[in-house]
Amino acid sequence: MSDSTNPFTSPSGKRATCMEMLQLYLDGEVTQEQRAYFLHHMDMCMPCFKGYQVDMAIKELLKTRCCGEGAPGDLVQQIKAQIAQQNS
Amino acid sequence: MEESARPIYTEAEKQEIFDKEFLPHIHAMYNFGYRLTLERDDAKDLVQDTYFKAFRFIESFQKGTNAKAWLFRILKNSFINDYRKKAKEPGKVDYQEVESYYNSDDVHRQITPDLRVEALKDMIGDEISNALNSLDVDFRTVIILCDLEGFKYEEMAKILDIPIGTVRSRLHRARHLLKEKLSEYARSMGYKTA
Ligand SMILES: [Zn+2]
Repeated sequence: MSDSTNPFTSPSGKRATCMEMLQLYLDGEVTQEQRAYFLHHMDMCMPCFKGYQVDMAIKELLKTRCCGEGAPGDLVQQIKAQIAQQNS
Repeated sequence: MEESARPIYTEAEKQEIFDKEFLPHIHAMYNFGYRLTLERDDAKDLVQDTYFKAFRFIESFQKGTNAKAWLFRILKNSFINDYRKKAKEPGKVDYQEVESYYNSDDVHRQITPDLRVEALKDMIGDEISNALNSLDVDFRTVIILCDLEGFKYEEMAKILDIPIGTVRSRLHRARHLLKEKLSEYARSMGYKTA
């Protein structure tokens, strides 16, 4: 496929690398056209396919294992008390 | 933020915005504070301070806009201006170097850490959390905002006061460093790497 058909190519003509395309796709920062292009590209590009599996697994792992730090139960109370004090 | 701005909210409206738009983000805010400071007490102080400022400057918050992004931005600024100064963190990363690294041809030849999905599935302990915490705070921050909190690049650019291009390159570098760390763990777990 020539560069002119790649919707990731910047207006200045700079070609996007596999890694740049992969990151944009992974983060949902693509247009519908770019999405279709990349999905097709991934069918033929092993590094992108493998990279996507790994990056996606890491993203999932981060989301499930690093968001558990809940605020202490009394924090909201303390915040409200502080504001009420300042306002009085 | 201008304090002299004409008040546009009544006291009741302020309370409503605070309770319904700001407070629901308390857990995400605390998690962000904790991931930045790596200390629970400091995270608590940072969040409390952020909410206090948010209420004080509530006039500069526009109803209907993204309250979470607005709060995250205040927390990030408090962290840099107040906390970081106190903590005197050693040397910041040279972003010039990062940018040129990303834009150079090296990035195409760069060896991606060999990491397999099976190894990641075995990381059921604190591996990922420790790997994230081990990153320099600026790299840690972009991963938190993007992967944990799901902010779009444009929102991240506003929260961090950096161009979108920098968001992209910093995120790319951060993920590379995270993968290096995770492949160290994978090796120590007995996974062979190429
Ligand atoms: Zn590719």
